[in-house]
Amino acid sequence: MINLNLIFPEIFISLSIMFLLIVGVFKKNSLNFIYNLTIISLLITLALTLNYPIDTHLTLFNESYKIDYLSTFMKILTLISGIFVMLTSSKYIQITKIIKIEYPVLLLSSILGMMVMISSNDLIVFYMGLELQSLALYVLASFNKENLLSSEAGLKFFVLSALSSGLLLYGCSLIYGFSNSTNFILIAENLNSNSYGLTFGIVFILVGLAFKISAVPFHMWAPDVYQGSPTSVTIFFAILPKIAALTVFIRFLYVPFINLIDQWQMIIVFLSIASMLFGAIAAIGQRNLKRLIAYSSIGHMGYALAGLAAGSNNGIQSAVSYISIYLVMNLAFFSCLLMIRRNDNYFENIEDLSGLSKNHPILSISLLIVLFSLAGIPPLAGFFAKFYIFMAVIERSMYFLAVIGLLSTVIAAYYYLRIIKIIYFDPEKEKYDSNHHLGLKLSLIISTIFILFYFIYPSGLTEIISKINII
Amino acid sequence: MIVHSIFFYTFSVIAIVSAIMVIVSKNTVHSVFFLILDFISISCLFIMIGAEFLGMIMLIVYVGAVAILFLFVVMMLNVAQQKNQWFSTTKSSSHIPVGLIISLIIFFELIIVIGGWKYKPDLIISLSSLDISKEITNTHAIGNILYTDYIHLFQLSGMILLVAMIGAIILTFRQRKGLKRQSYFKQISRERKDGVQLVDVESNKGVKIDV
Repeated sequence: MINLNLIFPEIFISLSIMFLLIVGVFKKNSLNFIYNLTIISLLITLALTLNYPIDTHLTLFNESYKIDYLSTFMKILTLISGIFVMLTSSKYIQITKIIKIEYPVLLLSSILGMMVMISSNDLIVFYMGLELQSLALYVLASFNKENLLSSEAGLKFFVLSALSSGLLLYGCSLIYGFSNSTNFILIAENLNSNSYGLTFGIVFILVGLAFKISAVPFHMWAPDVYQGSPTSVTIFFAILPKIAALTVFIRFLYVPFINLIDQWQMIIVFLSIASMLFGAIAAIGQRNLKRLIAYSSIGHMGYALAGLAAGSNNGIQSAVSYISIYLVMNLAFFSCLLMIRRNDNYFENIEDLSGLSKNHPILSISLLIVLFSLAGIPPLAGFFAKFYIFMAVIERSMYFLAVIGLLSTVIAAYYYLRIIKIIYFDPEKEKYDSNHHLGLKLSLIISTIFILFYFIYPSGLTEIISKINII
Repeated sequence: MIVHSIFFYTFSVIAIVSAIMVIVSKNTVHSVFFLILDFISISCLFIMIGAEFLGMIMLIVYVGAVAILFLFVVMMLNVAQQKNQWFSTTKSSSHIPVGLIISLIIFFELIIVIGGWKYKPDLIISLSSLDISKEITNTHAIGNILYTDYIHLFQLSGMILLVAMIGAIILTFRQRKGLKRQSYFKQISRERKDGVQLVDVESNKGVKIDV
């Protein structure tokens, strides 16, 4: 008998999607109401996820759906960041008039897709979750259809993503053909490490996954999509899909194919090195902050992949803690970006930050903290994230990867520090608005405090993560 | 048995003839109608060999959706006017050899596939070991698997379709300004005094109505 209690969060989210749609159709002028209701339903989903002991280890539906420590942790991470993303962007979507009742509904369905991806223990389940997630994201990217850039972003993302989904499916079918099953556990049992078909399948699936987390050389869509989409959607893009895709990376590489580590380790190392270097170098010339953060996120994904390449439990844990800290930093950065507003216009170029410190000292201080943390300057959270990764990598004596990682950190520090220089030493500009929405302030304060004071009690996070044991 | 063969040959002949008519009929709308006839007779053949689920799906998907879509496209593009002149003009007859070569290749590929299928000995063994029960119908068997083992995937694909629908509506729906809409409530709640004005006309004075 299937224990349906364990998927109550997913069931609740799907029911609330339909409920909110119906409310939106029949209740006039219910935009804000639905938006708030969506946040509440995410909170309830979070409560339902926490309802069961976090260390339950169960599989459902013929072992195709897995609830374990990793999945519960990642789901909680997804839901919390989903709530914060919605809190930060509630004013933005009202001012830019892109709010429609479908907007929060699409966000919810994307989150549902991510939760399915996180729990998947089967290629079909994983693919379905991926499609649900990205289908909602295509629409969200082009949500501001009056804007040419937004439409371009949606179309570009759709076409390239469809291509990568095709490659991924091809990989899935190869693996199915050579291992006789789509289930991760059964694949591991039927594995014949001599067959080239399996290796090809792994490569194709890795290509598809690398596209989803925008690792080099499959990153081309990221800058355009980040820049073109409405900022509220860009926050979503920068944070949530990465969590889900990283979880699938971990599950896919370490459950069925742990014995083939020689074959996939080089691929991951290559993806990691290329992303770290490219993310550091290509961001230097950028003038648009959203584009810059796109390149920076490519680089950050490179570090997370370096943790995965280590092929040890420590590596996985370091990648998970990296992504947790990364999403807090991104949340803080985008909260700052959404505060750069004057007379209902949002600014997103680096020059607009010039001399910000004279008029807005508190905002500048928090931007300073965030940027230092993104660059990896010691007492801040970003340093610890990189520290865990390098520890795990050096433990497996992969010195080359560590050296490249350190080098690209130095290169990347240049463009983060340049923004700080522009904020503090350049001539000041006109004052920006200072009446911000409570949710935006709240998420900025919480995330900045997390980044600033992480070093006091780092074991709070690491102890939770250290219970993730995949191998 | 003889009834069965009569039915089989009837449907097969209809299928082949209508397939040929799809290509040769001069009017494109007629081609689409022959295509629908072809689909229907093939689905009848499916039902005759006991694959009733496949036959019904064929009816619903191909006849109910795809062929109607074709018909819409044909009517909207108004290509029915441009008569199909495949065999009459000399210009297009140069395409015929190419088409023949391609169809010959496909024909030989079919022969190879079917030949390999027929003469591969272990395939027949593995097919017979599949243990297909003749007690339950196709639809039952598919339903048994779809609604028990794969119920979560079934529901998820429903969610994907819902999201696709929402997305299509958002991206294409535009609220145009100055559009005159019919409002039933307004129409029904209109009363006599709103529309009719009684005027007492004096003789030799005429009447002036402010509109």
